[in-house]
Amino acid sequence: MARLVALLLALACMPFSSGLYGAVAADLRFTAGEYSGFTRPFLERVARDYEALHPDTHIQIEVIPWDSYLQKLTTDISSGDQPDIAIVPTMWVSDLAADGLLEPLDALATPDFKAKFIPAFLVPARVNGTLLGLPAAASARAMVVNTDLLQKAGVQAPKTWDDLFTAAKAVAALPNTYGFGLPGKEVEVDTYFYYALWSFGGEILKDGKSGLASPEAIRAATFYMSLINAKATEPSPTAHSREDVFKLFKEGRIGIVFAYPMLVPQLKAEAPDLRYAVLPFPVQTQPVTLGVTDVLTLSSSSKNQKAAWDFMQFLYGARYRAEFDHAEGLLPVTVEGAADSYYRDNPDIAAFAAGLGYARFAPTIKGWSELSEITLRSLQAMYIGQKTPTEAMTDAARQIDDVLARR
Amino acid sequence: MRRGKSTTSLPAVDERHLRNRQMLFLLIAPSVAAAFFITLVPVLLLVRMSLSSVSRFGRIGDNVGLRNFARLMADPLLPDIALRTALWTGSVVGGTLLIALPTALVLNRRFFGRRLAQFLVLAPWAISVTSMAVVWRRALSDEAGLLNRLAMASGLIERPVIWLGSIPASFAFEILIAILVSVPFSTVILLAGLSSIPSEISDAARLDGANAGARLGHVTLPLLRPFICVVLIFNIAYVMNSFPIIWILTQGGPANGTDILVTYLYKLAFTLGRLDEAAALSILMLGALGVLTVLMLRMLERPAHG
Repeated sequence: MARLVALLLALACMPFSSGLYGAVAADLRFTAGEYSGFTRPFLERVARDYEALHPDTHIQIEVIPWDSYLQKLTTDISSGDQPDIAIVPTMWVSDLAADGLLEPLDALATPDFKAKFIPAFLVPARVNGTLLGLPAAASARAMVVNTDLLQKAGVQAPKTWDDLFTAAKAVAALPNTYGFGLPGKEVEVDTYFYYALWSFGGEILKDGKSGLASPEAIRAATFYMSLINAKATEPSPTAHSREDVFKLFKEGRIGIVFAYPMLVPQLKAEAPDLRYAVLPFPVQTQPVTLGVTDVLTLSSSSKNQKAAWDFMQFLYGARYRAEFDHAEGLLPVTVEGAADSYYRDNPDIAAFAAGLGYARFAPTIKGWSELSEITLRSLQAMYIGQKTPTEAMTDAARQIDDVLARR
Repeated sequence: MRRGKSTTSLPAVDERHLRNRQMLFLLIAPSVAAAFFITLVPVLLLVRMSLSSVSRFGRIGDNVGLRNFARLMADPLLPDIALRTALWTGSVVGGTLLIALPTALVLNRRFFGRRLAQFLVLAPWAISVTSMAVVWRRALSDEAGLLNRLAMASGLIERPVIWLGSIPASFAFEILIAILVSVPFSTVILLAGLSSIPSEISDAARLDGANAGARLGHVTLPLLRPFICVVLIFNIAYVMNSFPIIWILTQGGPANGTDILVTYLYKLAFTLGRLDEAAALSILMLGALGVLTVLMLRMLERPAHG
């Protein structure tokens, strides 16, 4: 009996003893948002390549849908299980930094390594002058039009917002089609407003306060409402998410949408016969686009920082970078990547990349997601007719100012 | 519990009694421990969070007393959302009972194809609420969705309708779907209750001249009361905390127009990043549900004809 107990005890202890041996090796956990179905297999492959070169290191890849990523990260961190390495949207960096969760990278990155990156992309990942993340993904937005529908409606591709109004109305007059795709549900409802806001000369934040109550912001909101009232958008924008709008565009039922570069590979795969063109946003006072960056960050509490940093550099191998950017429809973040002829020869991607020169970024301030939610809520109230553009914008500005004052 | 037989002496009985009790404690110890770890520990953590200042990513800071509760009370959105939660819970639980009770009464009778009918009513229980909600989202939100195609084929509408286009319509659909999801479970409980009522009682009532309505009102329903209470207790708790249907269909939008407390709680925690206030809200919700459950249990214990 005693022998049996001893045997059982020995068996029970086995996982621990092997764990003790394994402690010499590095176990890394790496989380990333899901750009597409390609993200997970790609990162898995890079991790296995790295493990083949470094047999002591084991890398666990977790790819999470963007919609639930913030929740996942919050619960992981609050239960003391922060991933060693994480690709996160730049707008979360300030919040992560405020809790001291990110390891400063200035001391780790050699000047040679830093020189790999397009300098502008290193700026958004700095908080108070400290580099907290490496640019992992970059994208800029642009306007995509269905050239067949515009032709049928007898209009040119819009260059100004007034053109856009005319073109959208003309396309909407065709049977069973909508002019302009305006998402009013779920992700990026506020982003679709910033395009017009910036274009009309407004600002999201000005002198530490919300810029939504400015005359420019109200003009931009009024313009979107005039599109809805003129039935130039899809009916009930608040019932349509960005993906719903893109689906209608792929079906050839919407004339004009604002989109990200990832839409291009989707169009090629799902709507090969659709004739489209990628164009800059309409201009009112100045050309604008939204630049979006995600950054690769290192946990300040990681037990294997050395191995993690080594793997982070490995991810920037030229071959991996090019493959990732091309497959995900992203723009280059490295100098070497930007020199790739791919970005000149592919007119669609080139059109998106063209905006990088004048791209604007969402503010990198603490608590950005709350400001974004307030804006979304006010825009939805306006889209369904609960509030006038002036009411919606002043309400949003007041609430945002309250939140900013509370910090 | 003392059932000592004449052959055993008194001290022996006591000793056995004691050993029995020790055995009983030993047997329930694992479940008590599990219940403690599964429920009490998180609740205590939650209480601590609700009384502290908590950062965006869950770092627990200073004790701030009741500040989080005060902020919550000052939230202009909360009264409407609380009211909507009551409306949601009331309509879904009421609607469920209104459908499940007649369904159970019918399924309890003997008729041809009864087994198949029982299977069809109960089968949706096996489908997860989340997948159900995803299917409904597709059926409702797509212009070529199931509902539009059905309505157009039957000539009810000429052009596709955006079913989730307005707040009242969205919320009404969410309530309907929640009722559909809750009916199978409630029917099972009520069917179990019905089959526990001896048919002799009903036969006796019939011999005494009671018609079908009187038998239902004076015999079946009073005897079914404990089961109806169980259905109510479970449904109120489930429905009040039911997240997937509303989240998948409308995310509580547009403009918080379909938010109930639990969807707003999620937004408070993960979109707005106010984990401390979210903890406070969940404490309040837990308290409210606890009070409701205790009240319902009291009702359950009260005799039917008291």
